[in-house]
Amino acid sequence: MYSTKMVTVLVLGLMAASAMTLEAQNNASINVTAAVQQPITVTAASPLDFGTVFPGVPKGVALVSGSAGRFTVTGQASAPVSLSFVVPANLTFGVGNNLPITFTGSWNGINDPAGAGVGFAGVTAATFSGTGNLYVFLGGTVTPSVSQAAGAYVGTVQMTVTY
Amino acid sequence: MRVSLTIFSLVLGSALPLAAQQNGVFQIRDLAFGTVFPGVSSVISRTDAANSGRFDLSGKKNRDVQLTFVLPAVMTRTGLPAATLPLAFGANDAGYSPTQAVGNQTVTWDPRAPQTLTLPNTPNPKVSIFLGGRVNPAVNQPAGSYTGTVVLNVVFF
Repeated sequence: MYSTKMVTVLVLGLMAASAMTLEAQNNASINVTAAVQQPITVTAASPLDFGTVFPGVPKGVALVSGSAGRFTVTGQASAPVSLSFVVPANLTFGVGNNLPITFTGSWNGINDPAGAGVGFAGVTAATFSGTGNLYVFLGGTVTPSVSQAAGAYVGTVQMTVTY
Repeated sequence: MRVSLTIFSLVLGSALPLAAQQNGVFQIRDLAFGTVFPGVSSVISRTDAANSGRFDLSGKKNRDVQLTFVLPAVMTRTGLPAATLPLAFGANDAGYSPTQAVGNQTVTWDPRAPQTLTLPNTPNPKVSIFLGGRVNPAVNQPAGSYTGTVVLNVVFF
């Protein structure tokens, strides 16, 4: 009986010794969160159309004209964006026929050209409306020379919108 | 002989719970990227006082701890349509502060790998772990709220 009790004490002691150095583990977790905004979509709604033009007679299209160009843009409501443009210096017809052109522009959160002006040499700051809409209007002036060749002149305006 | 055995058992029974209570890891703050835009990557620094993730640790002075993160590769969109938002972690995105100050991180590391630290040699030390990261939304990333979970496993030696 004496031997059995001594063994029991010894075993308990060994268990205690190993328990004192046992590693304690813990863990915790946190969330990672993000809110992705609406992507931007740009639509070329209306071309800028100067119609019939006569040599030597400049012709302009106002922003309020039904012939003004228009882009419609959708995205995240009330989000700020940057507008940038690539515009031609001339409309062209065939080979070597250039019709000089200059541009005017405006942007608005509603379909109304009476908004803020845009610049074509750099970046223009704009803002989506509370419903996620943005309208950009284009006007301009063509200046044909007195010897301007007759024909259908065309050009392209590229607009980029970024958050 | 019987009395001696009883006393020994009582001593053994009280030792383990006291050691366990002094060690702990606690979630304090989510890693919040806030508003992000399709096609535009967004980074939160571990030194961002408001948006970095944070865990607090308590332990025994001058003891080692091993930290291992379980990091998600993507966040998941809430609701339909289902979508995932890529999430990335890299060098120096995790930081340790012995003073629990986001501006005083004395050790930084890549949270994709385990890190062993030594707790300060002060009574009942409390320290903080901070976490930053990057999200990379696609240009056609569906709008909405995205979430993920980061787990920090701690081994106290």
